[in-house]
Amino acid sequence: MSRDELNIKDNTSLFKEERYVQQRENKKQFEAPCSEQETAEALAYSKSAEYMEKNFSRQNVVINPHKACQPLGSVMAALGFEKTLPFVHGSQGCNAYFRSHLSRHFKEPTPSVSTSMTEDAAVFGGMNNLIDGLENSVALYKPEMVAICTTCMAEVIGDDLNSFIGNARIKGVISEEYPVAYCNTPSFVGSHITGYDAMIKGILSYLYTRSGIESKPGSGEESGEKLNVMLGFEPYTGNFAELRKILGAFDTKYTILGDHSGNYDSPATGEYEYYYGGTKLADVPQAANALATLSLQKYTLKKTQEYISGTWNQQLAALSTPLGIKGTDTLLATISELTGLPVPATLTEERGRVVDALMDSHPYLHGKRVALVGDPDLLIGLIGFCLETGMEPVHIICSNGDVDFNEVKFKDEAEALLAASPYGTEATVHVGKDLWHMRSLLLNDKVDLAIGSSHLKFAAKDAEVPLVRVGFPIFDRHHMHRYPIIGYQGTLNLLSLIVNTILQQLDDHNSGFNFELVR
Amino acid sequence: MDPLRQDEFDSQACGSMAPKAKPCPRPKPGEAAGGCSFDGAQITLLPIMDAAHLVHGPIACAGNSWESRGTLSSGPSLSQYGFATDLTDSDIIFGGEKKLKDSIDYIAGRFAPPAIFVYSTCVTALIGEDMDAVCKEAADRIGIPVIPVNSPGFVGSKNLGNRLAGDALLQYVIGTGEPEPETDLGVNLIGEYNIAGEMWDIEKLMNSAGIAVTSRITGDARYKEITWAHRARVNMVVCSRALLGLAREMESRYGIPYFEGSFYGAKETTYSLRQMAYLMNDREMERRVDRLTEREEARLSQELRPYRKLLRGKRAVLYTGGVKSWSVISALKELGVQVVGVGTNKSTEDDVRRIADRVGDDTEYIPEGGASRIIKTVRERKADIMIAGGRNMYVAMKEQIPFIDINQERHKAYAGYEGLLRLAKELTYSLANPIWKLAASPAPWDKEAPPYDR
Ligand code: SF4
Repeated sequence: MSRDELNIKDNTSLFKEERYVQQRENKKQFEAPCSEQETAEALAYSKSAEYMEKNFSRQNVVINPHKACQPLGSVMAALGFEKTLPFVHGSQGCNAYFRSHLSRHFKEPTPSVSTSMTEDAAVFGGMNNLIDGLENSVALYKPEMVAICTTCMAEVIGDDLNSFIGNARIKGVISEEYPVAYCNTPSFVGSHITGYDAMIKGILSYLYTRSGIESKPGSGEESGEKLNVMLGFEPYTGNFAELRKILGAFDTKYTILGDHSGNYDSPATGEYEYYYGGTKLADVPQAANALATLSLQKYTLKKTQEYISGTWNQQLAALSTPLGIKGTDTLLATISELTGLPVPATLTEERGRVVDALMDSHPYLHGKRVALVGDPDLLIGLIGFCLETGMEPVHIICSNGDVDFNEVKFKDEAEALLAASPYGTEATVHVGKDLWHMRSLLLNDKVDLAIGSSHLKFAAKDAEVPLVRVGFPIFDRHHMHRYPIIGYQGTLNLLSLIVNTILQQLDDHNSGFNFELVR
Repeated sequence: MDPLRQDEFDSQACGSMAPKAKPCPRPKPGEAAGGCSFDGAQITLLPIMDAAHLVHGPIACAGNSWESRGTLSSGPSLSQYGFATDLTDSDIIFGGEKKLKDSIDYIAGRFAPPAIFVYSTCVTALIGEDMDAVCKEAADRIGIPVIPVNSPGFVGSKNLGNRLAGDALLQYVIGTGEPEPETDLGVNLIGEYNIAGEMWDIEKLMNSAGIAVTSRITGDARYKEITWAHRARVNMVVCSRALLGLAREMESRYGIPYFEGSFYGAKETTYSLRQMAYLMNDREMERRVDRLTEREEARLSQELRPYRKLLRGKRAVLYTGGVKSWSVISALKELGVQVVGVGTNKSTEDDVRRIADRVGDDTEYIPEGGASRIIKTVRERKADIMIAGGRNMYVAMKEQIPFIDINQERHKAYAGYEGLLRLAKELTYSLANPIWKLAASPAPWDKEAPPYDR
């Protein structure tokens, strides 16, 4: 049956029918009754400057958070390695949340298991759970490596992963050689990005140490000609593809450290395989001999970067997410510098095309006031992009704290970036604030556009600001993560997203003389 | 640490008082487990739409979960807000009680909710926060109910959390208010969370039969209506696994008779409405129900005819929990769909008995979770469609199996007579979509036969 012959209504249209509306009216009697006027007054107050001040002096409650916890990042990091099973040591709920959170964003399954600690574990420690869990999961899901992270519960009771894993080996649950990487990721510090960092560092250092290889950066052997690249907590599978395209154009050899794009963009072949793609485990110790390492999320990957430049004694270039023309220019210049290879003409050409596209759209972007929400590295990229298109960032919120890299704090860098442009003069950067703060900002000081994750949709709706969904998580739109936002191609995607949202607005709000065919 | 009621619960039957009833299943370490007790408690109480729901703990529990359930509200939206104390390491060391108190005060001052529910989480339970005391002190001071929900994740499964939330309602809410004198008293709906608006369909049916809803526990509920739930004349338990204990306790405390029922499928719907009228002991109402159900069933069977033709003989694997495990079977049977595999992981003994009453001998029972186990059943039993929850959806897609989401993330209302029609439509659409043929044919250069003609 291909058409709706019987006209069965779905819930959106059905529940708008008179009888349901009436039903809702009847229910009002149960609600704390207050007059229309009171409601209007309260609403008006919540939009006032006076309330905004109160809201910003709020210390002790978070309203509508815009960050996830450390282990969620660790799960994503673990999925970046070949046949690796993310293993969450804690009670069962956290893992269920991570799986649905990540799956709702990528629309793909998330293989990840939990030690399902219960009360006895809370009292006696989670060793038995960990040992049983290793035995069960290795038998069930046949991973080639297990990557364990902790939750806040395991941290509070002080479980010692290293000795537990050792005991599992002694008991013969896993063999002496079986690789088990781990990291500590209490959720009462940091956020998903810190957890991502901890797991990447955990896996790199573990595989390197056990290999017995001694790092000789740029040693001239095969791996010595390679470049290591890290994307960080990357919600866009399309960004991996874009990066590969760029590196391919340079014709350089490279290893991506932590590539979860396989797991989160696998083909429908009729058979679910559990593990897809990922960085080969054997490539990790070899990566210590590489030419250099390029990090595309410097704030996110802080500890990993320290490890690479320290223990591997390797040259390291750390950028923020390369968005926009300038951001991509820096990326290409850096690759060129690290590898000694010239920037290929194809990319220069592509650059020209995207600059052309930006010029085509610039009348609609110039002077548009925007609000931005995201993780630190994404925000640095987005600010840069906005400034080069003539959009004016006004409110910027970074929930997950004031991360620093090489003694430069995110907030300082963002402010310096803004101060250097005439389009950044109005901006304020808030760290550690939530989306309820953002709501106040949007209501008090109107903007034309909000850019951020799906979570921002409530505040944007209250303030009647169109939202362009960028970042993590994006639950309510499909396939956004399949399109890159980095590189020149990504810049073009971002541009079309933004400019077409603005044009749609124009059409929606102009029915008269301004309802034009050509824009 | 506060004594948590795990033992008491585990020795007690989940779905019935029968001595052999199995306890709530404990997840096995090393498996991809479902939600925790905190999640379960939250799920039960979040549909109290005008209340504030504050999560006391580090960012994990709230940051990964706020506003991700499809329980619809017909008015207030406070329950959609993600409130959290977001404890940091120094709070873990010095205690988070001050932060909790301040958070409660802020919420009360700014949002003026009729009540605040405060949820403990793994960490706050472990570090021994005296949540009950903080809540009590705050309630006395600010003059609105502040209700502690002691259901940290580690005490066990989501289902246990449902029941702990029921406990909190019994202890702090039910019986604390009185309905307006002229209120028409009727039935409490227990364990119907208004996913995709299903509650509204049910209410419409009840209203057409002249049956009043006294309290919704807790789909699209208002705090106040739950305070007078003890005045209802009948309790209907819609999800038995979760809140049967609540109904049982209300029977012994307040003498309210209860029954377990469902609204999936025409038969179950008719049965439930009849049962309400019967327990209300109102002949006139019974007659009205009979007239209504006869009329609705006749109309439905008329409208279902084209779908039935398309669905007859189709085979389905059903993987869901609680009441849906058996009631959806009835619904599918009415459509001519045969259930060849059914999950029993989250079912009580009673549920399993009900499943057995409704399926044939060759139906496979799937006792344990894991996508691969379900997929195996689909393949072996040559099923045409998989009906399960969102977490299994993407695996089904990889395996190119037509799929319908039946659990909390669904966006379609399947309850009542109209719901069955909608279910029929969704099944037909899902099965008939051209994508399955396209997906199953390899690229033209990979095989001899022309594509798309499978
Ligand atoms: S298991 Fe504990 S820490 Fe994890 S989500 Fe549930 S309550 Fe929170």
